[in-house]
Amino acid sequence: MAALLLPLGAVVLWIALGAITDPTALRLAVAVVGLVAMYFGIDAIAKRLVSPTFETDFWLSAGWLVLVVLLAVFADLLPLAEARDPSLTLTQPSRERPDLFSSHPLGTDSQALDILGGVIYGARVSLQVSLIAVTVGTVIGGLIGVTSGYFRGKLDGGVGILTDTLLAFPPLIFLLAVVTAFEPGVITISLALALLGIPTYTRLARANTLAFAQREFVLAARALGAKPGRIILRELVPNVVRPLLSYSFIIVAVLIVAEASLSFLGVGIQRPTPTWGNMIAAGQGQLETTPHVVFVPGAVMFITVFCLNRVGDKARAAWDPKQSAL
Amino acid sequence: MARMIGLRLLKLVPVLFLVSLATFFIVDLVPGDPARAALGPDATEAQYEAVRQELGLDASLVERYVDWIGSALTGDLGNSLIKPGFTVTELISLALPITLQLAIMGMLIALFVSLPLAIVAAYREGTAVDRFTNGLTAAFISIPGFLAGLLLAYLFVFQPEVPRYAWLALGLAVACGMFLTAARRVGDDLGRNVALWILAGLVAIGVTLLVFANFPSFPRTGFVRLTSERGVLDNLRSAFLPALTISISQIAVFTRLLRSDLIATLQEDFILSAKAKGMTPRHILWREALRPSSFSLITLAGVSFGNAIGGTVIVESIFGIQGVGRLIVNDGVIPGDYPIVQGGVLVIAVFYVVVNLLVDVSYVYLDPRIRRG
Repeated sequence: MAALLLPLGAVVLWIALGAITDPTALRLAVAVVGLVAMYFGIDAIAKRLVSPTFETDFWLSAGWLVLVVLLAVFADLLPLAEARDPSLTLTQPSRERPDLFSSHPLGTDSQALDILGGVIYGARVSLQVSLIAVTVGTVIGGLIGVTSGYFRGKLDGGVGILTDTLLAFPPLIFLLAVVTAFEPGVITISLALALLGIPTYTRLARANTLAFAQREFVLAARALGAKPGRIILRELVPNVVRPLLSYSFIIVAVLIVAEASLSFLGVGIQRPTPTWGNMIAAGQGQLETTPHVVFVPGAVMFITVFCLNRVGDKARAAWDPKQSAL
Repeated sequence: MARMIGLRLLKLVPVLFLVSLATFFIVDLVPGDPARAALGPDATEAQYEAVRQELGLDASLVERYVDWIGSALTGDLGNSLIKPGFTVTELISLALPITLQLAIMGMLIALFVSLPLAIVAAYREGTAVDRFTNGLTAAFISIPGFLAGLLLAYLFVFQPEVPRYAWLALGLAVACGMFLTAARRVGDDLGRNVALWILAGLVAIGVTLLVFANFPSFPRTGFVRLTSERGVLDNLRSAFLPALTISISQIAVFTRLLRSDLIATLQEDFILSAKAKGMTPRHILWREALRPSSFSLITLAGVSFGNAIGGTVIVESIFGIQGVGRLIVNDGVIPGDYPIVQGGVLVIAVFYVVVNLLVDVSYVYLDPRIRRG
């Protein structure tokens, strides 16, 4: 019965996108009703067909993330309207409202740049920056944390004070101070964000190491005469990696927001490279007349962060021993 | 306990020292020439040289750090390069009260919303109310601060009918809930309680209609100081949207934490015995369960108060408010006025560290288990 909601919701959504033209508030409300109906329809079908404990929201979130990644990777192959160079869009209509059945499905901004294209290229920047930052942060922070957690003593005390210092800056203020010193670009912003993530990873790795260092297999390795370097790399790191990685999704979400905040404040990555943050910043002057320039990239960013959080919660529950014990 | 606080204070000294060191040197790496930032691009080489000497830029790094931290300890953070005649201390002391007011108001709104939300969700764990709360907090956590700010600005400033009618619907729904509770209690409860619920419902309708009729208009930008002659109401009106923006993510984290703590507390034996004695749910939730569940909320509130002070940068930029964050970005980072960046970052970081210390101390004070241990 509930499965009927899926086609019903699809019809309602189609009416909202195609048949109704005005006012925007009505269109949005009808579209939301359609989407909610579709969600419950999919939920019912999946629970019937796959298993009664099927987590529809999790799989939808994962699907969205895969879609975003694929679009960002293959952006150059897609037939997108010009989204980066305003000198090529002189003949295009500017501030076009979103219309899914036109050549600008999500509308254009005040320079007639295509918003769908901008959102996809922006996803590329967001993913690049946050993945580089998470990788660098995991490797450096993880190694520092495991080392200081294994040796304890003075080294551990010193590392503790250093991480306390880095964490003493409110994150955004810290980033602002760093970008004052360096030209904003993909690499510098990534490294600044990595620097932001290192103390968190150090603490996580240290806490996990403390638990594993007590275990018998470490004692056995030591009894066999293994040197500290070998114990750290071959015994501790493989065990600490999984709980550490389980936080990655959530940290990527945080970093995407941090990068966008910097771009929004005008001190991050600059035009012509579109990012979600600088697209939103560019639209906020005409918030009253063309709200879609702000809220379309905003909605994409919100959905992406939401999905990362949802997937991250599940990853943490599955991989982090402390979480699953609770 | 005094010893514990003393130890915490002692641990603070190296952290504060390193914070000041980091603030000083990060900004010192700025590639641009401070003299050029002060005079503009059109001055002569001799004039640049004179400014460099005046700023003491030709001294060694160590000398300059000692000089800077020495005067910072006496409250002198140097002079602004670009705004002539202003000391950084003056600029910050003008901006800090605004930032603090926004952060405090944001936290009060967050507590005001999340307490009842968490209590209802925990008491009705697993029901539709609980699942709705979970979905709401998941969404609130995922809204980036600047997006929330722009959304609120759009709705309240440019589409004021939407929040106005949303308020009406919310108020009437709450009143209906109160009347329903009254109706359900007619048979099995004391008559006094029924009358009380009806009265509460009537008051709710009254307040809703009163606010609906006089729905205030909120300014898109600008801030009226608490001390200005335009009065407290104008001040609150201009601070409301920024504070609401700050509170959005706090509502989510506070509600989640308090809900899970309350659910744990509600499993305890003393709750069972209170139920067995025939205590009402209201008494059990507010009087018995809330207090032992609120320790970690207090910790979190302190931490997020520190975060909010740092996070006001965004809000101040959206709503055009001259607080510390905007001071750092618009007057410091963008034009390259490095004493403002140094001073502003130092003040916020010290504030953050001290607030976190106070939270730790209050935790020790509130939880007897830690006090003895």
